[in-house]
Amino acid sequence: MTVSTEVVGAARVGVGGPVGSGKTALVERLIPLLRGEGIDLAVITNDLVTKEDAERLRRSRLIDPERVLAVEAGACPHTVIREDPTLNIEAAERLDAQFPGLELILIESGGDNLASTFSLDLVDYWMFVIDVAGGDDIPRKRGPGIIQSDLLVINKVDLAPHVGVDLDRMVAEAREVRGGRPVVLTNCRTGDGVDGVVRAIRDAVPLGRQTGKSAGSGSR
Amino acid sequence: MIEITRILGHCDDPDLSARIHHAGHHGGIEYLHIPPAEAARRRFRAVTDMGSECAVMLPRDQGIFDGAVLLLEHDRAVVARLTEQHWLRLRPSDVEGAALELGYHAGNLHWRVRFDHGDLLVALDGPRETYVARLADLMDEGKVEVVGE
Ligand SMILES: Nc1nc2c(ncn2[C@@H]2O[C@H](COP(=O)(O)OP(=O)(O)OP(=O)(O)O)[C@@H](O)[C@H]2O)c(=O)[nH]1
Ligand SMILES: [Mg+2]
Repeated sequence: MTVSTEVVGAARVGVGGPVGSGKTALVERLIPLLRGEGIDLAVITNDLVTKEDAERLRRSRLIDPERVLAVEAGACPHTVIREDPTLNIEAAERLDAQFPGLELILIESGGDNLASTFSLDLVDYWMFVIDVAGGDDIPRKRGPGIIQSDLLVINKVDLAPHVGVDLDRMVAEAREVRGGRPVVLTNCRTGDGVDGVVRAIRDAVPLGRQTGKSAGSGSR
Repeated sequence: MIEITRILGHCDDPDLSARIHHAGHHGGIEYLHIPPAEAARRRFRAVTDMGSECAVMLPRDQGIFDGAVLLLEHDRAVVARLTEQHWLRLRPSDVEGAALELGYHAGNLHWRVRFDHGDLLVALDGPRETYVARLADLMDEGKVEVVGE
């Protein structure tokens, strides 16, 4: 058995979900909160054939533009986060190398369908973002993204009254199909609820990057 | 909080097993029980069977396996134990059409499978009912039968 003395890179957290559910909007809300907690952060976005989301984040000035990388997913956004995440892994490694103190990389998947899931080869933790306007029957449809994600984010709660959605029922059914695993409600227009996403990440994912050599045999 | 940033080896490795045994005499060997579907995760928090909180942060080229030694001190060791993998055993009614259909279906659903004497074994990473529900049509048509777990 070889003993690795390699540097443990930044934690990687995936943000997936259907087209337009608010993944980039959530990332835009998460960046200031995470940075406010002193977390050294970078972002990778996946788009089909453009770098639209990356450019939007770079323009936002929420984060140093060099800390935003774009991966073009081609025709199948789920392929680059599940079957063959090589492009995203390479992008994450590039960020790890370029920013030695990096603690967390958010990886936004291209908009996909309810079946998309992240490979644990790519991320340590992943959330699935759906929105209220997609209909309150979405959780009941039990897509793998909804069932298997570490965190389900129900976004655009402000729209519930406008689209005739029974939010309480939607949340109850989401919790039921997820067997009680976490569900968070957000409004990324105002930022309401986004602190719950930060807490969920921090509760589940230890950050920090020690070298394998110095830690592991000690405790504190 | 125990920080785990590498795997030291397998608990049966000759040089480790003696030291683990020794640690067992002084304090205890603690086990971290991990479901097989979670073993690929590199970073997570978990609690050992003796209540110690662990922050696991493994390098990308390491993964947890059954018997992985995660901590070894004079008076304490932490060893990973994968919880038992449950399998659903499915038997197609014939080796031509039904078997093909079942194989296609399982692949389409990204199920983890094994083959055993004409049966298809599906790894249960969630409630059994959710797997059986996906087989309703094939079962109604008499093409597939659940023969055990
Ligand atoms: N009312 C409302 N609109 C929102 C909310 N969150 C996002 N939006 C809007 O929804 C639209 C899509 O948001 P994006 O963040 O681009 O969605 P996305 O999931 O990143 O989209 P793709 O990456 O193209 O799949 C934008 O017009 C946002 O302004 C919200 O909480 N409430
Ligand atoms: Mg987007």
